[in-house]
Amino acid sequence: MTPNFETALLIAAIGMTGIFLFMAIFYLLILLLDRLMPFREERTEEEIVEETGTEEEDL
Amino acid sequence: MGLEQLLPAIAGMTWQHLVMIGVGVLLIYLAIARKYEPTLLLPMGFGAILVNIPLSSALTQIDPATGEAVEGVLNIFFQAGIATEIFPLLIFIAIGAMIDFSPLFRNPSLLLFGAAAQFGIFLTMLFASLLGYDLREAASIGIIGAADGPTSIVVASRFAPNLLGPISVAAYSYMALVPIIQPPVIRLLTSRRERLIRMSNPSNKKISKKALIVFPIAVTIVAGIIAPSSLSLIGFLMFGNLVRECGVLNKLSLSAQNELASLVTLLLGITIASTMTAERFIRVDTLIIITLGLFAFVFDTFGGVIFAKFMNLFRREGNKLNPMIGACGISAFPMSARVIHQMGQKEDPFNYLLMPAISANVGGQIGSVVAGGIILTLVPFFA
Repeated sequence: MTPNFETALLIAAIGMTGIFLFMAIFYLLILLLDRLMPFREERTEEEIVEETGTEEEDL
Repeated sequence: MGLEQLLPAIAGMTWQHLVMIGVGVLLIYLAIARKYEPTLLLPMGFGAILVNIPLSSALTQIDPATGEAVEGVLNIFFQAGIATEIFPLLIFIAIGAMIDFSPLFRNPSLLLFGAAAQFGIFLTMLFASLLGYDLREAASIGIIGAADGPTSIVVASRFAPNLLGPISVAAYSYMALVPIIQPPVIRLLTSRRERLIRMSNPSNKKISKKALIVFPIAVTIVAGIIAPSSLSLIGFLMFGNLVRECGVLNKLSLSAQNELASLVTLLLGITIASTMTAERFIRVDTLIIITLGLFAFVFDTFGGVIFAKFMNLFRREGNKLNPMIGACGISAFPMSARVIHQMGQKEDPFNYLLMPAISANVGGQIGSVVAGGIILTLVPFFA
């Protein structure tokens, strides 16, 4: 084994671990974003006004 | 006045020039007749012809009358666009604007295949170092396995500009050959029973716009903190994606996806061709690099499929992954996903693997850029 190969082996080991680490972090980031910002149906302005109106009528 | 003085290009023509002109014609043929990555291979093919006609003014030449160098346009493009990394980074903005990360939000665990399928990069780097290439050259050859042209160009132009021509040709050619390279490797590694596995398909899950906007910003910050050297690659990709997702720059997003991508690809292809001169290209090295590139793609597929099988060891019956999905962890998007979906349908016409395959493939797009960034960070420490 040449010193060049040994260094390449070390880079390969760190590199593959690094990629998995990055991806694991991005995976957790996606889970976090999904939890913090779940999908909500966007309401139109008309719906919002309508809803506010109904609340006022209820009062 | 002899023919040599009248037509000096003919006098200077060697068999190596003719071979390279033949290579140029072959690339043009593959681009037009076979539709193999035509946006890149056609300009590269034409450029190869352009730079292999002796005394071509497209390249820098010494004026025999004055002894001064007359700059060739392709050398100027190279210095301005490739040596500075501007062309590939602009392409990253365009690619970022094309990527939709919502499939990843639907199947986030498939992101890990984007890591596993980079295995070929590092194995090829090891193999190249065994063959006597220094670390920088070996890393540049290995990065062909990123299956991502701009990443290969950025790494090779920084670490081994002398090998840029064959590395780019290999990267783009094999990306186009994914439908031919991957299926036999997958069939070799999986049983029919495994290829028949159906996967649940959460394709109806809607993703919040806010999450899609925050994602590229957060990824850039995280990547920048961990590996600042990777930021030019990841940052430009994520910037393009933010332009797409923000919802207020639709015109710019469309321009990035269309005009910017087309123009820069055109310039990138013809500029890379400036390195495809006979003196640089007709060498044993070129054949070795092209062979190692194939090796990288094969072992990317191997890494992805084997990792899927490994993950299945920990999953309940009925919730297993179809190991073919692992092969989509490469960056060739959406070709790899399409290949796997078609392979699944061939085994069982009612098995729809397209959505999980796309998720893994998007993971591969991130994975390849991360791999490039990690190599750019690590290699200078050791070399």
